[in-house]
Amino acid sequence: MTAHPGICLTDKVIIQFGGTGLLGRALVKSLASAQATLVVASRNRAALQSLADAESAGGRKVFIEETDISSEASLSSLRDRVLAQHGRIDGIVFNAVSRPMGSMNDDLKKWRDSMETNATGFFATCRVFGDAMAKQGGGSIVNIASIYGMVGSNLSLYEGTNMGVAPDYFFNKGGMINLTRYLASHYGAQKVRVNVVSPGGIYNPDTPQAAEFITRYNKITMLGRMCDASEVGGAVIFLLSDSSTYITGTNLPVDGGHTAK
Amino acid sequence: MKRWYSLEEKTIWVTGGAGYLGSAITAELDQVCKKVVCFDLPGKSEALVRDLGLKRTVPLSTDINNAKTLPAILEGLLTEHGVPDGVVHLVTASSSGKRLEELSPDEFQRTFDLALTPSFILCRTLAERMKVRGTGSVILFSSMYGVVAPDKSIYHAPMAPNPIDYGASKAATLQMARYLAMHYGPSGVRFNCITPGPFPNKAVQRDHPSFVQDLTRRTVLHRVGQNEEIVGPTLFLLTDGASFVTGHSLVVDGGWTIW
Repeated sequence: MTAHPGICLTDKVIIQFGGTGLLGRALVKSLASAQATLVVASRNRAALQSLADAESAGGRKVFIEETDISSEASLSSLRDRVLAQHGRIDGIVFNAVSRPMGSMNDDLKKWRDSMETNATGFFATCRVFGDAMAKQGGGSIVNIASIYGMVGSNLSLYEGTNMGVAPDYFFNKGGMINLTRYLASHYGAQKVRVNVVSPGGIYNPDTPQAAEFITRYNKITMLGRMCDASEVGGAVIFLLSDSSTYITGTNLPVDGGHTAK
Repeated sequence: MKRWYSLEEKTIWVTGGAGYLGSAITAELDQVCKKVVCFDLPGKSEALVRDLGLKRTVPLSTDINNAKTLPAILEGLLTEHGVPDGVVHLVTASSSGKRLEELSPDEFQRTFDLALTPSFILCRTLAERMKVRGTGSVILFSSMYGVVAPDKSIYHAPMAPNPIDYGASKAATLQMARYLAMHYGPSGVRFNCITPGPFPNKAVQRDHPSFVQDLTRRTVLHRVGQNEEIVGPTLFLLTDGASFVTGHSLVVDGGWTIW
C-alpha cells in the first residue's frame, strides 16, 4: 500500500527561514523527512551545522545558507545561489522571528528593531521569493504566525511566573496573517499560493515553561495539552505540497482547538 | 517507522461517498486505507465500487437521514464493521433550491432536519465509541456559503441564488464541529470542518460556462476547484499530521473568502 503521493515534498526545493529554535529545528526534521531538498536560511550557520550533518548522514537533503533577511541584497543573493545549485524554488517557509521586546514598557527602539526583522524582513522575503516563484510558474509560501496573531493575551496564564507577553509579537503576527491574504491575492494569478500556519503554545522539553503555566495552558486547549514541536510540520508540509492546490490565503491554526473556543 | 500520513491500518467511513466530492475521496481512500465503508443513495456506492474497481470499499445504501432510526442502524454497522478510525461526513448537504420569497416554513425546516439532526446523532454515536479507544478524526463538510453570503449578481434567472436554508445549515455545521471538538477533545477525538469554495460538478462545468466564469472571477486563483483537490485536505485532517488540529474550519476555496 502506498501513502498518498501528494502529501510529501519529493523533488521539491524548499527554503526554510529560521531554523535554530525549538520549532525551527522540528520543522527541519519534518520537511527533510518529507523528502524535500531543504535549504535552511539562517543568520547562524554554526547553530545548525550539527542538525544538518545528522540529517545528511540519514540520507536526507539539508543545506545551510547564511542569510540576513533585513537585507534585500542578501535575499536576492540567496535566491540566485539556490537557483544555481538546485535549479528551482518550489516553496518557502517563513519561520524567522526576532523578539527584542520583553514587555509593554520597553524602549521604542526595541519596537523599531522588531519591525526591522518581523515586518520589513518578512515582507522583503515574501516579495523576493514570491516574485521568483511567479516567474518560474508557481510555488507555495507558508508563513509561521501564532495564535497570538489571532487572539489577545490571556494574562491569567502568566500570573505568578516570570513569563511575559510582549506587544510587538501580537502586532507582527496579526499583520502576518492579513499580509498573507494580500499576497495570496497578489500572486494568485501567477499560481503562487500563500498560506499561514498559527501554532498554539509549544511545550519546551529542554527548558520547560513554568509548571503553573503549563497546567493552566492545558486547560484552555480542547485537547487538554500543549503542542509538541513535531506536530506543526504536518500542516506545513500539507500546505507546501500538491495536496493543497486549491488552498490559498488560509490561516491554519495548529492549536489544539484553543482559538475555536 | 510508519509515516505520519499513513492510513494503511485505518478504517474510514465516508457518507455521501459516491457524490461529486465524495467519489474522489472514496477512490483515494480505497488506495491507502485498510477498509472504507461508503454510504450513499441506493445503488450509487455499488456503482462507484464497480465502475472504479475499488478493492477495499464496502458499498452501502443504508438510509442515514432519519435521526430516529439512526442509532439502531449505527449499532448494527458498528457490530459488522467495527469502530471507524475516521469519518468523512459529506451528507450534511441539503438544500430547498427555493428563492427566499418562495420558501415555506416546512421546506426551511426540512433542510435543517436532513442536514443537522442526523449529523449530530451520527457524530455523537460514533465519537462515544471512538473515545473509548482514545483516538479518532471526524470531518464534517461546511461551505463558503456557511461563512459568507452568496453574491446574487452571479445567479441569473432561471437560476435561484444559493438558498438561505443551505447557508444557514452550513453555518450551523461549522458550529457543531467546534462544539463536538470541545466536547470530545479531552478523549483524543478530533472534529474539523472542510469548508469548500466553488466546486461545480463536471456537468455544470460543461453546461454552464458563463456561470463557471463568474465563479472563477470571485477567486484569487482565477479558477474553480476540481473534486480531486478536496482529497488532500481530507487526508491531512484524517492523519496524524493533523494531531493538534481540532475545531478548525479548513477553507478550500481558491481564496473566495479572503477578500
